[in-house]
Amino acid sequence: MTSIAHTDSDHGHSHDHEDHPPEQYYSSKVEPPILGIYLFLASEAMLFGSFFAAYFFARVAVPHEFWPPIRPGTNVQFQLPVFLALINTIILVTSSVTVHWAVTSLKRNYRAGLIAGLSLTVLLGLTFLLIQIREYMRIGFSPRDEAFGSTFFGLTGLHGAHVFMGLMFLTFALMRSMKGHYSAKHHLGLELPAIYWHFVDVMWIVVYVMVYVV
Amino acid sequence: MSTHTIEHGEHEVGHAPSPPDRRNLLQRPGWIRGALYTAIGFGIATAFVTGIRSLGDLDPVWELDVLLTAWTVIVPLAFLAGMGVFSYWIYWVTGKPTQPEDHSGHGAESWKDYFRVNTDHKVIGVQYLITVFFFFIIGGLMAMFIRAELAEPGTQLIDPNAFNGFTSVHATLMIFLFVVPVFAGLGNYVIPIMIGATDMAFPRLNALSFWMLPIAGFIILASFLLPGGAFSAGWTNYAPLATQQPDSNLMFQMGVQWAGASSIATALNFLVTIITMRAPGMTFFRMPLLVWANFTTSTLVVLATPFIAGSQFLLMFDRVLHTNFFEVAGGGYVVGYQHIFWFYSHPAVYIMLLPGFGIVSEVLSVFARKPIFGYRLMALSLVAILFLGFSVWAHHMFVAGMAPWLRIPMMITTLLIAVPTGIKVFSWLATLWEGRIHFKTPMLWAVGFISMFVIGGLSGIMLGSVPIDQHASDTYFVVAHIHYVLYGGSVFTIFAGVYYWFPKMTGRMYNEALGKAHFWLTFVAFNVTFFAQHWVGLQGMPRRVADYDPAFANWNMISSIGGFVLGASTLIFLYNMLVSWRSGAPAPGNPWRALTIEWQISSPPSKYNFDEIPQVVGGPYEYGVPGARHVVLNGSRTVETEKPEPATAGAEH
Amino acid sequence: MGSWRAASTACGNRCPFRIAVREPGRLVFRGAKPGPSVRKTLYIQLLLLTVVIGAITFVISLVAISWLPTVASEEGKRIDDIYLFTSVICIGIFALVAAVTVYAVLKFRAGPGDMEDGKPIHGHTGVEIFWTVIPTILVTVIGIWSAVVVVQNDDLPDDHRIVNVEAQQFAWSFSYIDERDGLNGMQVGELVVRVNEPVELHMRSPDVIHAFWVPEWRQKQDVVPGITTFYRITPTLEGTFPIICTELCGLGHSVMRNQVRVLSDADFDAWVADQQQAVDSGGATLGQSVFQNQGCAACHTLSAADATGAVGPDLDSVLAGQSAEEIRQSIVDPNDVISEGFAEGVMPPYGAVPEDQLDALVEYLVTEAGG
Ligand code: HEA
Ligand code: HEA
Ligand code: HEC
Ligand code: CUA
Ligand SMILES: [Cu+2]
Repeated sequence: MTSIAHTDSDHGHSHDHEDHPPEQYYSSKVEPPILGIYLFLASEAMLFGSFFAAYFFARVAVPHEFWPPIRPGTNVQFQLPVFLALINTIILVTSSVTVHWAVTSLKRNYRAGLIAGLSLTVLLGLTFLLIQIREYMRIGFSPRDEAFGSTFFGLTGLHGAHVFMGLMFLTFALMRSMKGHYSAKHHLGLELPAIYWHFVDVMWIVVYVMVYVV
Repeated sequence: MSTHTIEHGEHEVGHAPSPPDRRNLLQRPGWIRGALYTAIGFGIATAFVTGIRSLGDLDPVWELDVLLTAWTVIVPLAFLAGMGVFSYWIYWVTGKPTQPEDHSGHGAESWKDYFRVNTDHKVIGVQYLITVFFFFIIGGLMAMFIRAELAEPGTQLIDPNAFNGFTSVHATLMIFLFVVPVFAGLGNYVIPIMIGATDMAFPRLNALSFWMLPIAGFIILASFLLPGGAFSAGWTNYAPLATQQPDSNLMFQMGVQWAGASSIATALNFLVTIITMRAPGMTFFRMPLLVWANFTTSTLVVLATPFIAGSQFLLMFDRVLHTNFFEVAGGGYVVGYQHIFWFYSHPAVYIMLLPGFGIVSEVLSVFARKPIFGYRLMALSLVAILFLGFSVWAHHMFVAGMAPWLRIPMMITTLLIAVPTGIKVFSWLATLWEGRIHFKTPMLWAVGFISMFVIGGLSGIMLGSVPIDQHASDTYFVVAHIHYVLYGGSVFTIFAGVYYWFPKMTGRMYNEALGKAHFWLTFVAFNVTFFAQHWVGLQGMPRRVADYDPAFANWNMISSIGGFVLGASTLIFLYNMLVSWRSGAPAPGNPWRALTIEWQISSPPSKYNFDEIPQVVGGPYEYGVPGARHVVLNGSRTVETEKPEPATAGAEH
Repeated sequence: MGSWRAASTACGNRCPFRIAVREPGRLVFRGAKPGPSVRKTLYIQLLLLTVVIGAITFVISLVAISWLPTVASEEGKRIDDIYLFTSVICIGIFALVAAVTVYAVLKFRAGPGDMEDGKPIHGHTGVEIFWTVIPTILVTVIGIWSAVVVVQNDDLPDDHRIVNVEAQQFAWSFSYIDERDGLNGMQVGELVVRVNEPVELHMRSPDVIHAFWVPEWRQKQDVVPGITTFYRITPTLEGTFPIICTELCGLGHSVMRNQVRVLSDADFDAWVADQQQAVDSGGATLGQSVFQNQGCAACHTLSAADATGAVGPDLDSVLAGQSAEEIRQSIVDPNDVISEGFAEGVMPPYGAVPEDQLDALVEYLVTEAGG
């Protein structure tokens, strides 16, 4: 029998009270929120999948001489800032490491590591976003420029939106860490954003490889 | 703990009064704050769009499609916030002290509680059911307009634009606001109880799932109010017709997003609940087949629904941002839309049927007083359908101009789906065999379902053969197929389920005579409406036409008459439900002598379903096996003195 | 009611509730053992019922009713064969399912007040394997046969005619693009082909998706913007058949129709001669041929051109009193003024028709119906 420790979302209520449900039995060792977030991420991965499908069709099903294609009315190809994106990849991978550090620090009750790890992660994520925005401004084409532009902005934009959401969650987690809301036992509030952040990171690597490299 | 059995005890534990909310009406979560926030959201969305557009010198500042996009995203969020759906999470994420869970969101004391944000799975189940039947009636009324127009060739009642609008909204409502969510509603009510849980894993997420649904329905219906009339590119909304349509087409795209988000959230909830919250002894192979069915369906939903979200996002970008995902002029690929759409929408047809399979298994076994034949294979065939279901989407595109080599593999997988489905059909028949069949209303629907669904499935097999599909695609043969699988299939199982659990949900019995009248009238009218459509289609009548060759006038007239009777038969159902709910005979805890857990407790169940988590000691369908038990409830110990055997109960989880 | 529940749980849990009896080589059910002789009569009765229901369904479905329109192409004949084959299988399966259902309903009905349970049969591995394997075989056969038909139908002899098809909201137009019969470049308003001569249609659409379907030919193919799709057919029957657009393409979808004329060799040659003469002569005859070639006849009635379309206004009557300017405007920009009782956006704008042809068309309409 596995009975799961109450998560930090539950503020234990008095059990002598008449009006309460019987204690729930848990048939799996996985904590529900953790399973929940993994399922949610599976769903998210499929959403990325649909955007990748559109990208695949624009690139493969429609004949092109080159990819990136030739800008209509000229004879130059569209340009992708591959190098900048590589830097961004490195930044994001590093931020995965730092968030992992934060989580392990918390589990070991090492508060300084927790705060430092999280702060670094937020900073790195922010840098990533800023570089991405700068890239958008200078890239020289827009979502309206051919299916090429649409799929490029579609995929990187969808990913950017996820980075943004992840950053929000991490920022709140950081604020709560500073207030000392988490402990070595109650760390779901940090673990969920961290899992989400790893996902965002992995998704970026896929986007990077498929859009910039291949 | 209490010694009385749950069945007998009126377990109406007093609603612990939650501390009085001192906030005034505008601050307190509820309809008033909801209305206020809605207005604010509307203002913000409008100001946001017009502000940005005037700053960016975009002309016109009042661009309807951009405004609609902002409205359909922001206003619903504001409304939900006003209703208080998000309060807890916002508190949690920002680290404010959350209100201690006093379970004030549980249970319903009066009808008013059904109009509040409630986290009780039983309340949410009922909220779901009422909402979706409302949309069923609206969608059905649109079908009445369709049939009235088609009664004679030529255009009489409604012009082609209105006709296409009615067809599109009819199907959209039926699919996204009736069949898909009705199973979420029924599942919500019974699944936690069936597996011996006190509630769903995430009750607040559950409430959010429900509240997103009326929003989706409202958005879809609101499209009628926009210039150009309702969206009218069919429920498949193929590009590039969809992007050419008036802005009301956005309402399909955004409505589907809300409905899709709702169903993903519920599915995720079901999966976590089923995996982590089964009662002790409830191994996977002791789960009732409805639970199995919801398990596979939910997996389909979680993995497939993002694809329709994606397809509609991309369409929306093409319209609002003028991107080129599916625009030929900008190098987009038109057929790509269909691949993405059907990658969801084929699995969606199993999303709309597998829970029905589960219901039929429950009902058949109980009323035939026999165990389900080949229980394990029944469970595994659901899993087989789950996997195969992902590999057949292109059978909707055999003539769509996709890569020709894809046709044969997709045809083979499509045809192979007959095998697991056949296993289910034959096992049901074998379950009837040598049973002692009681033809109560739920059983009539379940038995009627088998043969009607088989007709639909077999016409599906014909469509699945590429050469036959080349002739029959996009004709009334397909319309007949749709309705045999969706009406004769899904809707029949829905009626079976609603009659079956009506006593459990309301604590009252429905009227058996009216229930039977409803079945027989529907059964006959349904076949009159849709059977001849096979013939009409093969002879040359395309679908989605307001006007047709006079050669088909007679059969269309018959079909229309059948359709009206079909509509009228639904009135019997509504009458029966409403009157029995108010004044039906009180229902005992277990009127059907069923073994599954939900029937071992009172009707309606007490607020937390159980006093103590039940112990599962055997399979769910051991009818006719002397002494077999599925579950031991603490309350039943007054009747039984046995203790669960460790060998069967404790060891297996 | 309470007693029902007691009944099902009365026996203590000592009773084994899942008996697995397995004896190799014999029909043994998991659960209680069957009485062999009772079972045998049951099966015989069931068999009879299946045969009866099957026969009735079969006769109704395949003999008494003709499900498909006359077949008019080589490819269609193959499709009919696979259709028939699949139908027979489906009818058989439906008959079996219906028979078992009807039989069970009649035979295993509980009497009023019957509180007994049925036989606790949990399953039977052999039977389960049987109804997994047989459908697998059946659908595999359907699949293989279908695949063969697809391959055969896709494969047209090399010496086929090629016709370009353009589908636009909401009209069809056709042009001949190979050298045969000197028709190269000829645009026509209805499809005309030679009997027994294989044709490959190269189909394009400038706007949205349409679909080309001739029920008598069986084949159907979407016409998709951005790509060319192919429709391969060998007409075997002379006659006039409808062309129907089967993909929802907007307001005029239900009226987006045209026709194909399959002519004998002699008739076809005569038709070719007519066409060439019309091109050569110019003037009113040119106007008439433009009227026909642009597909106006699919929607309009005009007695001078033998046109009987009913989608748009009857040009014989409405054009009376209209000036050449007005008529021209109605053709180039039909949505400018919408005739009463007709929907906007159904008639496609014909601005792209070459100026001289347009002049001839307007002149033709003025002389025949207007003025
Ligand atoms: C509940 C919904 C539902 C279900 C369950 C199904 C089930 C099936 N459908 Fe259907 N389908 C739709 C809903 C559904 N469909 C809808 C809504 C559309 C139209 C969409 C649109 O364009 O608007 C559609 C369209 C559609 C098409 C495209 C037609 C076209 O537009 O050209 C095809 C083609 O292959 C198809 C095939 C099948 C098959 C093979 C099955 C199989 O799963 C059926 C399997 C079942 C059986 C076969 C019967 C039981 C089996 C036995 C008794 C065993 C023995 C059988 C044999 C040996 C054959 N369907
Ligand atoms: C679950 C899904 C579902 C259900 C239940 C139905 C139910 C019905 N459908 Fe629908 N239908 C679809 C799914 C469904 N349909 C889909 C997916 C399409 C394809 C759309 C597309 O091409 O994009 C379609 C298309 C479709 C068409 C083809 C339109 C076309 O191609 O142009 C037709 C035509 O006959 C039709 C008819 C009906 C009828 C008569 C009913 C009846 O069963 C409805 C009965 C119910 C009621 C009437 C409501 C309750 C009754 C009352 C409130 C009583 C009062 C009314 C009177 C007595 C008049 N439907
Ligand atoms: C898809 C059907 C369709 C086709 C093809 C079509 N029309 Fe029309 N036509 C209509 C409809 C519907 C109207 C009435 C609505 C309107 O006025 O635009 C109409 C209106 C007209 C009118 C105006 C009649 C009036 O009341 O003044 C003229 C002239 C006309 N068509 C000529 C033609 C010619 C010439 C062609 C071929 C080059 C043609 N049409 C092709 C459907 C069609
Ligand atoms: Cu063109 Cu329908
Ligand atoms: Cu499908």
